[in-house]
Amino acid sequence: MAAFADLDLRAGSDLKALRGLVETAAHLGYSVVAINHIVDFKEKKQEIEKPVAVSELFTTLPIVQGKSRPIKILTRLTIIVTDPSHCNVLRATSSRVRLYDIVAVFPKTEKLFHVACTHLDVDLICITVTEKLPFYFKRPPINVAIDRGLGFELVYGPAIRDATMRRYTISNALNLMQICKGKNVILSSAAERPLEIRGPYDVANLGLLFGLSESEAKAAVSTNCRAAFLHGAVARPVPMAGSDCIRCHGESNGEALLCSLT
Amino acid sequence: MATLRRLREAPRHLMVCEKSNFGHEKSRHKHLVETHYHNYRVSFLVPECGMLSKELKNLVMEIGPYYSVKNLPLHELVTHEFIHTFVKKGSFSALTYNTSIDEDNTAALLPNGKLILSLNKDTYEETGLQGHPSRYSGRKTMKFSAEESTMMSYFSKYQIQEHQPKVSLSTVRELQCPVLQSSSLAGEPEEACSALELFDWLGAVFCHADLDNQPYNFISTYRCPQPSTVVAQACLCTVTGFILPEKINVLLEQLCHYFDEPKLAPWLTLSVQGFADSPVSWRENEHGFQKGGEHLYNFVIFSNQDYWLQMAVGANDDCPP
Repeated sequence: MAAFADLDLRAGSDLKALRGLVETAAHLGYSVVAINHIVDFKEKKQEIEKPVAVSELFTTLPIVQGKSRPIKILTRLTIIVTDPSHCNVLRATSSRVRLYDIVAVFPKTEKLFHVACTHLDVDLICITVTEKLPFYFKRPPINVAIDRGLGFELVYGPAIRDATMRRYTISNALNLMQICKGKNVILSSAAERPLEIRGPYDVANLGLLFGLSESEAKAAVSTNCRAAFLHGAVARPVPMAGSDCIRCHGESNGEALLCSLT
Repeated sequence: MATLRRLREAPRHLMVCEKSNFGHEKSRHKHLVETHYHNYRVSFLVPECGMLSKELKNLVMEIGPYYSVKNLPLHELVTHEFIHTFVKKGSFSALTYNTSIDEDNTAALLPNGKLILSLNKDTYEETGLQGHPSRYSGRKTMKFSAEESTMMSYFSKYQIQEHQPKVSLSTVRELQCPVLQSSSLAGEPEEACSALELFDWLGAVFCHADLDNQPYNFISTYRCPQPSTVVAQACLCTVTGFILPEKINVLLEQLCHYFDEPKLAPWLTLSVQGFADSPVSWRENEHGFQKGGEHLYNFVIFSNQDYWLQMAVGANDDCPP
């Protein structure tokens, strides 16, 4: 049991639109959202920019509907890789990648998918939904990814916008489910406008169409998203002692500091 | 394909139907009403009745207030003073408000003195609880229901507000009611309807849905189960709030006495719905919320003091007792 999360709200250049998106998500009942910055190295001169500062967006965070807590906003980076050289930025230790809470990769070829599942230091692997799958999924890399704790992300935003995309979304999703058996799957909105976000229970129902069982579908909007965030927090700890750190009491008088879980 | 098969199934729900008589010494009705602690809505439907009798109306209006306290740290509930003032005196119920049981931590204080906490993983590991409620401390809005008026003064340093339950009375005209026989739960073909059909019909009546399966009706294609009779008027009363099981028992007794004088109605129903976010349903059976968090029970009371009891729960629940 975990709070509902939508890990893909598209960050445009317009802060006001982004504010509207987050407010809609809070109204629908999402307790955690992640603002997604996409970087495509195919285009020339692409640099990873700094993530949007939450304090710039809101002075007071909107309250989640049905609760008394404000919504939690995370930052996420998605890198679209078409060439092995694009992955180098993930290996650099002092790049801007570490400023983001969640890092996702969108592999476009089978070799890159294999590398992403087995070696890359990321939290999520995006599955294409807007076109026919360029490669078949193989069981070994997917099993390695599940063991490493990576999540597979399916977005439903394109399915809302267009009927052909709907077909591709469902067929690609069913292909994925056949191999991964519904484990570590995340559903998110890829919303650019507030009307493209759907409530968490509706998205869980959509998961049923994609081949997930009832409990797996609900986990895809809650527990698995939390797992992805924790994976990012542990794999790339932010080197500052903030007020978000919790303490873990051990049996002895030692205490371990773990990064932000709330 | 497995997906198609799964799509055709509905989320699992359970209903337990039993029949008995109020005069029977082993009848469980009192025990089951008393152990269903967190009641959100009580409704009763009396066919062939234009106006409620004075006793019933007074009973409904005097169900009693409930209180909400904002930002109460849970450790207040386990101080000796609190336990002595309220819990030992009996019948004190509390439930966290504005928390979803499938997302957040929820707490409930049962009338038998037990504090049930439903925690998510982080909180559970943080607190290291294994039956040590005194170490837990959190800030929640809680809803309480108690008999004492000392409540207001005890919690005066937190924001405490008194609420009265909402009562709504209405008369339904020309209602199609199914014909029932108290001796057969499963119904007789062409003679009486089954308990399941009655349950569905009652739901339709509470939603004010049309019962004739009109072809142009967009919202509902439900049809009243046959055989049925048309009743000129029926009285439907709903009380919403945080209602104690003792009050429901009193109401049940009063409704049984409705048939002391001969009446036109063959039967009447009393339905009680529990809070969707309560961590327990009956006694200490765990209650969860998958796609819906219903846990409710329904009495059908016949003129010869026979009754049917239907208890229904949703997906993430233990079976009702």
